[in-house]
Amino acid sequence: MDTIATNLAEAPDIDRGFIRVRNARKIYAAGDKSVEALSEVNFDVARGEFVAILGPSGCGKSTLLMMCAGLEEATSGTVEVAGSTVTGPHPSIGIMFQDPTLLPWKTVLQNVMFPAHILGQPDSEYRDRAHKLIDMVGLHGFETKRPHELSGGMRQRVAICRALLKDPDILLMDEPFSALDAITRDEMNEVLLDIWHSYAKTALFVTHSIREAVLLADRVLVMTRRPATVVADIRVPFGRPRDMSVIETPEFAKLCAQLRGMIEHGTGKSARRPGDGPVLQPGRHGGEE
Amino acid sequence: MTVLPFIEQQITTSGDASATRRLRWSMAGLRPIVLPLLFFLLWLGGWEWVVDHFPASRSVLASPSEIAAVLVKSFPLLVPHIVSTACDTLLGFALAVVVGVALGGALAQFHRLNQALFPHLVLFQIVPKIALAPLFVIWLGVGTESRLVFALFLSFFPIAAATAAGLSSTRPEALRLCAALNAPRWRTFLCVRVPFAIPALFAGLKMGMTMALIGTIVGEFVTGQEGLGYVVMFAAAGADNALTFAALALLCAVGLLIYGAVVLAEVVTQRWYGAPFVTEGFN
Amino acid sequence: MTSRFERLLSIALPAATAIAVTVTWQVAVTLADIREILLPTPLAIAGSLGRNLPSFLQQALITGREALAAFTLAVVAGFAGAALISSSRILREILYPAIVALQLIPKVALAPLFIVFLGIDAEARITFAALLSFFPILISTAIALHNTDFAAVRLCRSLGASGWQTFWSVRVPFALPAFFTGARISSTMAVTGVVIAEFITSREGLGFAILDEGSHSRTDAVFAAITVLCVLGLALYGAVKGLEMISVRWYRG
Repeated sequence: MDTIATNLAEAPDIDRGFIRVRNARKIYAAGDKSVEALSEVNFDVARGEFVAILGPSGCGKSTLLMMCAGLEEATSGTVEVAGSTVTGPHPSIGIMFQDPTLLPWKTVLQNVMFPAHILGQPDSEYRDRAHKLIDMVGLHGFETKRPHELSGGMRQRVAICRALLKDPDILLMDEPFSALDAITRDEMNEVLLDIWHSYAKTALFVTHSIREAVLLADRVLVMTRRPATVVADIRVPFGRPRDMSVIETPEFAKLCAQLRGMIEHGTGKSARRPGDGPVLQPGRHGGEE
Repeated sequence: MTVLPFIEQQITTSGDASATRRLRWSMAGLRPIVLPLLFFLLWLGGWEWVVDHFPASRSVLASPSEIAAVLVKSFPLLVPHIVSTACDTLLGFALAVVVGVALGGALAQFHRLNQALFPHLVLFQIVPKIALAPLFVIWLGVGTESRLVFALFLSFFPIAAATAAGLSSTRPEALRLCAALNAPRWRTFLCVRVPFAIPALFAGLKMGMTMALIGTIVGEFVTGQEGLGYVVMFAAAGADNALTFAALALLCAVGLLIYGAVVLAEVVTQRWYGAPFVTEGFN
Repeated sequence: MTSRFERLLSIALPAATAIAVTVTWQVAVTLADIREILLPTPLAIAGSLGRNLPSFLQQALITGREALAAFTLAVVAGFAGAALISSSRILREILYPAIVALQLIPKVALAPLFIVFLGIDAEARITFAALLSFFPILISTAIALHNTDFAAVRLCRSLGASGWQTFWSVRVPFALPAFFTGARISSTMAVTGVVIAEFITSREGLGFAILDEGSHSRTDAVFAAITVLCVLGLALYGAVKGLEMISVRWYRG
């Protein structure tokens, strides 16, 4: 099984730091006080890597994602995507939020094609791709349905298609499945794993579910509460293609326990810098804690 | 109109949640229509009976049959008044829509303007604007202009307020999505803000239409020249009860027709966009 | 933008607008030499207000008294009606056509009827205004009473509370905000109703004053009388709003 870790050492610098965050800080003004949401965040994401950002609620994970998306500005520090600093929404970024935000008066197909429609781009360019995406997430036959006729999980599937419509280089996901019930959430995790098999995009996935992070990601960044920093950078040892059966493995449970311990202790290991190398080597895990 | 919630109550209390989506053409579904209609006819019948059997009531009432008779007999005479009221109301309302939507759009768009005007608009809402009718007579005379402009004056504000509210209450998630897609502002406005504002807009239009009719009627009271309101005043003063009620019935009809037109416009707009707008389907 | 600045602006901007409009009005009318009877200057209006204040206040008392009476009637009848309608399905179905009909009729058109039936004195005006202002309270309160949080009502039933007890301890508190929303609209409608009636009866009250001054082309006095009426309307609205704040705090904590 090929893992990203072994390729990382040989990859050119630009591919390695496809997303590069350096010393990012975010300070909010709340009334007459200022609140430091993010403090000295540093990490890299290589091209094609799926990185999960894991942490308790309200620890600034979403803020970090918004900064990568160009929807918020860092108070200090830099966020780079593909070598250039992020100043605004990046044209080749697909985004998913916790709220699928489907427009209620549009059909599933129209919602998927919304990114093209809102920029006045011709439908014909994207129609085939939209249909393909809809089929891929299992919504074939629902193209003419309206959001109110769909379940929560189905709406998020439409949101996935919409995010992938323009074949973005990067996919950012802010707790997309947190509002779903447990069973639907598992289904959606499977859908995402399947998609990953075909698309293998660079991805940042924010979650507060340890299980989800380990299941989906190649690397997990653990963040603390405010002021938030990255306190751990754990490589996930399972390869691709992956399916739900990895949950049954003892390695999975150990890794989850390890992450849980880090979150509970608040600081866990000290903040790691990029280039420090993976914490867990493939094939060598467990028995260390 | 605020009566409609009762229809919804009737449907939900008949016990079936999905009935709020569609009226089923079964006994349970027909009940909310058949029963009130039945009682309405009973009311009408009772009214006729009371007037026939209690001559004293004739000093204040006229029976439905008498009213119908007067309507038929005097219809040609009433036509110019119907036209006057209808035109004043419609034109005043149409102008109010233009002014109101423009003002509402400006208020939603320019935050500073909104801030500068907000307390004044609240005051404007509260004060009894009806008292300005004589002022409009001073300015515009006793003809159709003063009634029309007074109707415009009374109805533009609910429309503006509703438009502003609708445009500024776009769900932030939808706006965030548009920002993430790098959408230009005007496209966001046209493709997202406007559709979300449509329910509020039509609520404002219904309110504005009611106010336009009220403005026309009060204007007719004050100018005392023509129109169905004037006929009501004139007939009541002459103790012609049947004519009074006949004119009232015509007024209701005019009001209903214009209201119906607004509802029709709403249905057409919803069809065009593809209903529903209810944010129930938003997430 | 710090929030302190924003708060300051939210007071300064409207104030500045008001001043700017008043000054522009004064200057523009003077410069353009607009006729007094068309558009008097703010100063002229203020002067007329000063001169006529005693007589206007007297009229205001009449209008205010009648509006208050109408409003009180509307509140009592509206609340009672709402209680009745929300509790009895049969009543609801019987009264439904009457309510629909009265909602559909442009009620202001009924003013001449009331005056003919009840005379040109206060009774007619009060009753008419009460009819106008009765509906907002009735509708909003009835809906709120009916739509009381289902879980709370179920709790009462499980505790063995009677319908009456449930009504007063759960339904009414839940319905208070809606009741007051309707009441605020009603207060405006009460004043409006009285003024419309005064236009027709043309005997006394601020509505009459406005009409009378207008017929003598004393436009500055018309504006002055309108100003007094606006103050009256605001006072009544403010009183209702104040009552709302007190009772909501008391009842719901």
